[in-house]
Amino acid sequence: MDTILEILETIKPGADFASSTDFIEEHLLESMEILQLVSELNDEFDINITLPYIKPENFKSVESIYNMVQEILEDE
Amino acid sequence: MQYNSWLYLFPFLGGSIILYYLIPVKRRWIGLLFSSLLFYILAMKNLVAVVLFTTATIYLGARTIEEFNEQFKLKKKELDRAARKELKSKITKKNRYIIALLCVINFGILFVTKYFNFFGENINALFHALHISAQIPFLDIFLPLGISFYTLSAISYVTDVARGVCKAEKNYFRLLLFLIFFPIITEGPISRYGQLGEELKAEHHFDYKQFCFGAQLIVWGLFQKVLLSDRVNMYVRAIFANHEKYSGFPVIMAILLYTFQLYMDFAGCINIARGSAQLFGITLEENFKRPFFATSVNEFWRRWHITLGAWFKDYIFYPISLGTHFQKFSQNCRKHMNRYYAATIPGIFALFAVWFGNGIWHGAEWKYIIYGLYYYVIMVLGMLLEPAFVSFCSKLNIDRNASWYHTMQVVRTFILVNIGMLIFRSKDIKTAITMLGSVFQPWHGKSNFWQLAFNRGGLFKLDFLLIAFSVILLYFIGKKQENGHSIRELILAQPLPIRWAIYIIPIVLIIIAGAYGPGWGVADFIYAKF
Repeated sequence: MDTILEILETIKPGADFASSTDFIEEHLLESMEILQLVSELNDEFDINITLPYIKPENFKSVESIYNMVQEILEDE
Repeated sequence: MQYNSWLYLFPFLGGSIILYYLIPVKRRWIGLLFSSLLFYILAMKNLVAVVLFTTATIYLGARTIEEFNEQFKLKKKELDRAARKELKSKITKKNRYIIALLCVINFGILFVTKYFNFFGENINALFHALHISAQIPFLDIFLPLGISFYTLSAISYVTDVARGVCKAEKNYFRLLLFLIFFPIITEGPISRYGQLGEELKAEHHFDYKQFCFGAQLIVWGLFQKVLLSDRVNMYVRAIFANHEKYSGFPVIMAILLYTFQLYMDFAGCINIARGSAQLFGITLEENFKRPFFATSVNEFWRRWHITLGAWFKDYIFYPISLGTHFQKFSQNCRKHMNRYYAATIPGIFALFAVWFGNGIWHGAEWKYIIYGLYYYVIMVLGMLLEPAFVSFCSKLNIDRNASWYHTMQVVRTFILVNIGMLIFRSKDIKTAITMLGSVFQPWHGKSNFWQLAFNRGGLFKLDFLLIAFSVILLYFIGKKQENGHSIRELILAQPLPIRWAIYIIPIVLIIIAGAYGPGWGVADFIYAKF
């Protein structure tokens, strides 16, 4: 989870990801940032995040991003 | 049948409500299907066959995709990781072929009915320039009602089934209802099966509060359309039709009033649609969230025609940017550029498809393509210049969170949107440029603005007073909603006399001051033609 938070903070420096309850609703992550995040996660965890995983509920918190990564790792 | 017509509001909607609540709760969707088919057939007659065919294609396609997905789920437990990956890749490929075929068929129908003559004319012009004698014939085709809206919903449905977002519908007629549900068929919102499909499936008992909310929303929609949008139509039409005669203030007013007209027209229609659905206990997605509070054009498009923007994001932007080639391109960019540009540049290419698509979706004319690309250019410039702008602000100690800065951003966005609306409304792009230029020339006409407004648009000072009052009202309503308040709940909390006054005054105003009857050039809903 710490790695994910670090990635998020490099993508959008200054944004308060730690205290946000919903990155999408609060516009911390928009489509361009999601693209960047997907690329970074693919590299970091050696996974392939495909379209079915691109849904708001997978990007609303560090925990939901972590769960998505775990799900992909198990699925692959 | 227009949503603001007497025929729709009383015999049709009233009859549909009676029929719906007379049917046992489990079968109520059949009542809605009957009303929706009646609405469609009254408008289109035998062209209903087109939407029946589209439904059949996506029905079969989605069922097949789901069968493949089920096979994968059953088999994957017995396989090791490599075999599982291989099988998944095979199934994904098969699903992609099916989706591609459905896109060819359904966008093909949309292309032939909406765009064939546009492309034909342009190709013929090219032939002429190249001295080629071949000619593409002009097809006299009638555009099926709602085709631009239901085609997008149809494609989103099969894609969502493939992505596992929703289940394939087993009943053809339920799927048909999802596509032709009468409140959404004319102007949307562009619905997703996961949302509207489930709403249509659910059992809805009569709920007095929901019913009242629905009726209120219809009245508010009528207020926006009949009292405000249609009121300014005659002035806007007069100036745009003879734009070469005017300059300065009358042109500025025409542009501003057109923006107001389009917003009130489209939002009014959507409110009537959402209110109509709510009378049956069905919630539709929101299509507007106070767009003129936006601080950038990106934000404007997240607040204006939300369901169209979301469709392009989910079914064009992400599939392109997450495709294998773009991912490789993105990796290359990261090797050669700084982090910001490496992330931004691949997205910029994908955004081109989004904004070209958004433009041409609105109509088969060059001005609509330019309209989409106008927003594309603004967004791309904004993205490319962002790092320079951040450093500029930091050097000058400009606080980007200050309220003056926020106001400046709102005003800047408003001006940019108005230029976009000018392109949208003008006859062609040349007219838009001429009119934009004439804004900076003083008005030398003989009549003053009030005389002009009256002579050209049949508008009195009282009409402008009503418009100004409505803009102020909209601003305060918007401000309350921005702060998280529900206006309808706030009204409900008022004492009875105030509450009823709030309900009755708009109805009385619509009846006595609505822009209908002799002397008014009532406009069709603008987005209905798309």
